[in-house]
Amino acid sequence: MASTLKYVRVPPNSANMEEARKRVFEFFKTACRSIPTIMDIYILDDVAKPSQLRSTVASEIRKNAHVTDPKVIDMLLIKATEELSNIVEHAKQRHHIIGQYVVGRQGLTQDLGIKDQGNSNFLNSFYSGNYF
Amino acid sequence: MGLGQLASRALLRSSRLTTATRTSHFLRTIVSTPELHNSEVAAAQSQPEPDLPKRNPVGGARIHFPNPDDAIEVFVDGYPVKIPKGMTVLQACEIAGVDIPRFCYHSRLSIAGNCRMCLVEVEKSPKPVASCAMPALPGMKIKTDTPIAKKAREGVMEFLLMNHPLDCPICDQGGECDLQDQSMAFGSDRGRFTEMKRSVVDKNLGPLVKTVMTRCIQCTRCVRFATEVAGVQDLGILGRGSGEEIGTYVERLMASELSGNVIDICPVGALTSKPFAFKARNWELKGTESVDVTDAVGSNIRIDSRGPEVMRILPRLNEDINEEWISDKTRFFYDGLKRQRLNDPMIRGADGRFKTVSWRDALAVVAEVMHQAKPEEIVGVAGKLSDAESMMALKDFLNKMGSNNIWCEGNGPNPNADFRSGYIMNTTIGGLENADVFLLVGTQPRVEAAMVNARIKKTVRATNATVGYIGPAADFNYDHQHLGTGPQTLIELAEGRHPFWSALSNAKNPVIIVGAGIFERKDKDAIFSTVVAIAKNANAVRPGWNGLNVLLLNAAQAAALDLGLVPESNGSVESAKFLYLMGADDVNVEKVPDDAFVVYQGHHGDRSVYRANVILPSSAFTEKEGTFANTEGCAQTTVPAVPTVGDARDDWKIIRALSEVAGAQLPYDTLSAIRSRIRTVAPNLLHTDEREPATFSTSSLRPEIKEKMDMAPFETAVKNFYMTDSVTRASKIMAQCSALLLKK
Ligand code: SF4
Ligand code: FES
Repeated sequence: MASTLKYVRVPPNSANMEEARKRVFEFFKTACRSIPTIMDIYILDDVAKPSQLRSTVASEIRKNAHVTDPKVIDMLLIKATEELSNIVEHAKQRHHIIGQYVVGRQGLTQDLGIKDQGNSNFLNSFYSGNYF
Repeated sequence: MGLGQLASRALLRSSRLTTATRTSHFLRTIVSTPELHNSEVAAAQSQPEPDLPKRNPVGGARIHFPNPDDAIEVFVDGYPVKIPKGMTVLQACEIAGVDIPRFCYHSRLSIAGNCRMCLVEVEKSPKPVASCAMPALPGMKIKTDTPIAKKAREGVMEFLLMNHPLDCPICDQGGECDLQDQSMAFGSDRGRFTEMKRSVVDKNLGPLVKTVMTRCIQCTRCVRFATEVAGVQDLGILGRGSGEEIGTYVERLMASELSGNVIDICPVGALTSKPFAFKARNWELKGTESVDVTDAVGSNIRIDSRGPEVMRILPRLNEDINEEWISDKTRFFYDGLKRQRLNDPMIRGADGRFKTVSWRDALAVVAEVMHQAKPEEIVGVAGKLSDAESMMALKDFLNKMGSNNIWCEGNGPNPNADFRSGYIMNTTIGGLENADVFLLVGTQPRVEAAMVNARIKKTVRATNATVGYIGPAADFNYDHQHLGTGPQTLIELAEGRHPFWSALSNAKNPVIIVGAGIFERKDKDAIFSTVVAIAKNANAVRPGWNGLNVLLLNAAQAAALDLGLVPESNGSVESAKFLYLMGADDVNVEKVPDDAFVVYQGHHGDRSVYRANVILPSSAFTEKEGTFANTEGCAQTTVPAVPTVGDARDDWKIIRALSEVAGAQLPYDTLSAIRSRIRTVAPNLLHTDEREPATFSTSSLRPEIKEKMDMAPFETAVKNFYMTDSVTRASKIMAQCSALLLKK
């Protein structure tokens, strides 16, 4: 798997949105296909399920849903491919993956359950830190 | 001090010269007038309009003409300046915007004139003159930039460096050393000295000042500081010529509460800070301009930090408060900020041990217990180091919970917060300099407020003011008369029977200072009314002069009284079921009932923590923004210099969060919202860095006091100068100081 990804080349610019869209889906599929390898090399079985990682990839892609310029999409794809190949080639360490894709931006305090719902913003930010 | 600017100034000046010449070159190429081809003519033609851009006085120096007729005009490098008579040549140059290099001259000390670095050329004088010791005369033409002046400086530098070791790489002064800077700017680029350098045995000046006496250049600033400002005769010069040494005559420590300032005034690395030795280089440090909270003076300080650590504290110039000195406690207590810190919310379990919990759980527990207590059993005490914002929040919160039992430590059981002039220093610290007679009632300013004491000392030295003192035997560093120990003397003074009365009644500007230790006495109202009577008889309070002062002890006191933190009639810890201590460590926890629930919110595990049921960690003054009013009523703000420790939060945020959990939400979410709330209570706290004088004077408005004074003598308010609050008690350096310096 690693060896195939190494030679992934991003072809010349997409001509229109259609083509760019197709490429995004292709990238998503490639990423999904490499998830078992990733789970394996970073020993992620006890912290995440493949479906979680898939939705993380999907949400990372959706973050850029507002982009309409095919050139920009191409650029983002190049970066995404680079990131994916870095991950697959074990150029990262376990805590990178966990930090970026498993735990995510909210950090470890994900118990924002029912008990915090009636709170003001002040109290919620108070619980998460002194600087707000 | 601006001495670091010297080099850049020298550079600037030379670049100005080069641009001037370049302009004339430029002129020559485009204008083909034949005469201008001759460069001499060109130079002569550009001379008549000397290049004199408007110069600004060095360091923003202001001139004050006591008598307009006495103004004289001198010329500094051809630039005319008007100065008052009696100024020295060096001061005239400063006003003209020329910084003269100097080592021994210091504007707040007497003039020694022994380093000779300040040599300038004066027209018609055969030799260069030492500008710091030479009075400016009308019409004097001073030249600071001529080859002779430069040569003279270079020569002096060479002599100074003859016996100065070349150990800048291992010297703590490196990077902020006057000698280093000035030898770069004015020194020769090579040395001719091949003999051996002299060396001097280091002296032991105590736990605060490190000495490397070989580096000393005998400027005698430290000696003059010790005798003139600190008022101790411990330092002196021994020997003559190349055998000259600075030292304590006999083997003894420098016992002064201002000794740390010699570190700042020593122009070389001979006197450096012992606790800071080899800890950091000054260019790695981030300076934050803040305010000291260890006493009620509110000295202006600069907190130098590296990353999350406070590395040292230096004074900041404020003519009205601390001039440019700070006390040793202010300068060296900072290591206490790293010890005994509370970093997580904790709840005391059934086994009596603290267990770390989350903020959510801690606040929920506190809110629940609070609701079980009856409103009148809820008591809040603000500590010595509390800022105005958090005290406002605490008061509002307790009021919302139905209780008004809240006070600030040190203000006594029933403080008088009605008249602002009744608890602040009305004369102002700077105003003390105009006084001619002082009467100190139950206060030992030397330990209670070292910077106020320095002002009194300055006045006594400058104008021979008389000082009378009533209180227990105490240590003074100026001449004083010990009038008595208790209220009896006050009565005698009020009735005009005491011998000191004649001095007091004949004084033009009498100053009476009452110590805040008296707040703790039961008969304080009676004492105050006697003092007011004395002030009235002595005409100390009149339009244009208010000489009736209270000297507070803690940073929080003035703001607490401004905000009306006054307990209801029966407010005391004895009847509390729920006690909220906001950094209050001097509450007598033994008196707290056993079934009371004690919440301690604070940054140090100090005395009260032993009794606390819940600990809420908060940030120290170096980590938060907060308003503090000093003893003269001047509001100043601290600025966060370092991040908070662990999971601590700012004080007002904790109270705001708790109020929401307890269902009595306070209506402010930001510091500026709290400040608008303060505006409705005590607007003077928002006028930072300005002193708001009290509007009324108390003497006429106070109710008549019927009760009698208790004849018990006054007590010492501050037992140990070095350890007065939770931070200083946690400091190792302060512990060493108390062990070594307070030993009798
Ligand atoms: S120790 Fe420092 S301040 Fe004192 S005389 Fe020497 S150089 Fe001057
Ligand atoms: S500064 Fe003038 S002689 Fe030292």
